[in-house]
Amino acid sequence: MAMSLGMKWGHRLGLVAMLLLAAPLGAAGFQARDAVPAPALVARDLAGVERTLADYRGKVVLLNFWATWCPPCRREMPSMERLRVKMQGRPLEILALDSAEPVEDVEAFLAIMKLGFPILLDPDGVITKNWKVFGLPTSFLIDAQGRIRYSLSGPVEWDEGEALQVVESLLAELPATQDKAPNP
Amino acid sequence: MPQADRLVKTSDCFQLWLGQDDVRFFALVTMFITGLFLIRRQMRVGLLAILLLMAGVAGPLGIAAAALPDDQRYPASGDRLLLWVSYERGRAPVEASGAEALAAAGVEVWSLDPTSSYFLPQLARSMDAVPQEDVADWMQAALVSGKQVTIYAVARAAVPVLRGLAALEPAQRAAICVMLMYPNIYREAEPLAEPDYLDFGSLEGARIRILQPRRSAATPWLPGRVEALEMQGANVSSVILENLREDFWARETPTEFETIEGRRLDAILLREMESWRCR
Repeated sequence: MAMSLGMKWGHRLGLVAMLLLAAPLGAAGFQARDAVPAPALVARDLAGVERTLADYRGKVVLLNFWATWCPPCRREMPSMERLRVKMQGRPLEILALDSAEPVEDVEAFLAIMKLGFPILLDPDGVITKNWKVFGLPTSFLIDAQGRIRYSLSGPVEWDEGEALQVVESLLAELPATQDKAPNP
Repeated sequence: MPQADRLVKTSDCFQLWLGQDDVRFFALVTMFITGLFLIRRQMRVGLLAILLLMAGVAGPLGIAAAALPDDQRYPASGDRLLLWVSYERGRAPVEASGAEALAAAGVEVWSLDPTSSYFLPQLARSMDAVPQEDVADWMQAALVSGKQVTIYAVARAAVPVLRGLAALEPAQRAAICVMLMYPNIYREAEPLAEPDYLDFGSLEGARIRILQPRRSAATPWLPGRVEALEMQGANVSSVILENLREDFWARETPTEFETIEGRRLDAILLREMESWRCR
């Protein structure tokens, strides 16, 4: 059907307006942050090795607060593992910090769900409180300079959609020598 | 409270969320749009006429002026009275059966389901819209019974309870024992920011027991909530409920232990009422 130039532009503007209106409805709820330095984080992993955020300086870090008893946390875990596999060789580190529960519960969970990224422990909830985490899951995206750039309360599919875009946007800030993104 | 008063108050409460004109407008628009999709073309004009007629009638009658459930009472002859306030998801079947069991054990129960009683959306923030005067009146009515009164509230339902408590005279406040199951008393709780707690007014003399399921994101924040209530004058103690999650009595996929504990919610409350020895 032929359309006049005015009608075409009208349709396009209408489409843009609809997309702008619809965007917040479909958004995962990432909150952009003012690039403030991340609070201190010193935690042991399951092997008893002490890890700090500084260990990952120069990489983008996805820090996820979770617990084995939290159904939405368990639901998003596989997508974090898929993200890890998808991003292999790229400067992204995924850290899952188990909040305020015994290590035995974590080990029992990991016997069922195999995950390739480090699991950090916060058995007494001190780190959870230090980071002011009030609900689970809560995630933070930290840039290569160790600054918090985004936070997210609630679960998301990490290997697709908005979550993947946000991760890629932080990776894109790195010099090309540091991140060799796969060809599209 | 006479039924007429209750209707007026409920109508007021409903208007905390939307003005009566707004309610009428949204109801009409929703019905109209739904109707257009559902019915055949020749019926649409008729539907429009009916809706316009309803809009005219709804005004003088007041759209929120429906008959409302009051509290659900479970009489008992014992000397204790438990005011049981459900949270935003409403009164769970286990809560109703728990109230029956308590009454059978001699503890009278008045069970309030705020979202149902005040026609509120099933959202945590709805609890903030429950009129504190109503809750205070409710507690005063319970005190008139001469029984030892304990009020128990879940999650955000702690907010109207604490506000109602603050509205009481100090002597009345001190006469009531308060049990709060994982109370949500934040004004704001955002990641990376210090929690901001609600100010309820004076809770001087109030005796509060917090029941905190261990498996909850709120557990690390228990000391902060205790302190916030103490700062407002309350005498606060707490107990951790091990191996349980929030609303363990109404979980979609409960653990075996949660199922067992959920079924004996009445026994848990009774145990706390007795072991706490709030007199």
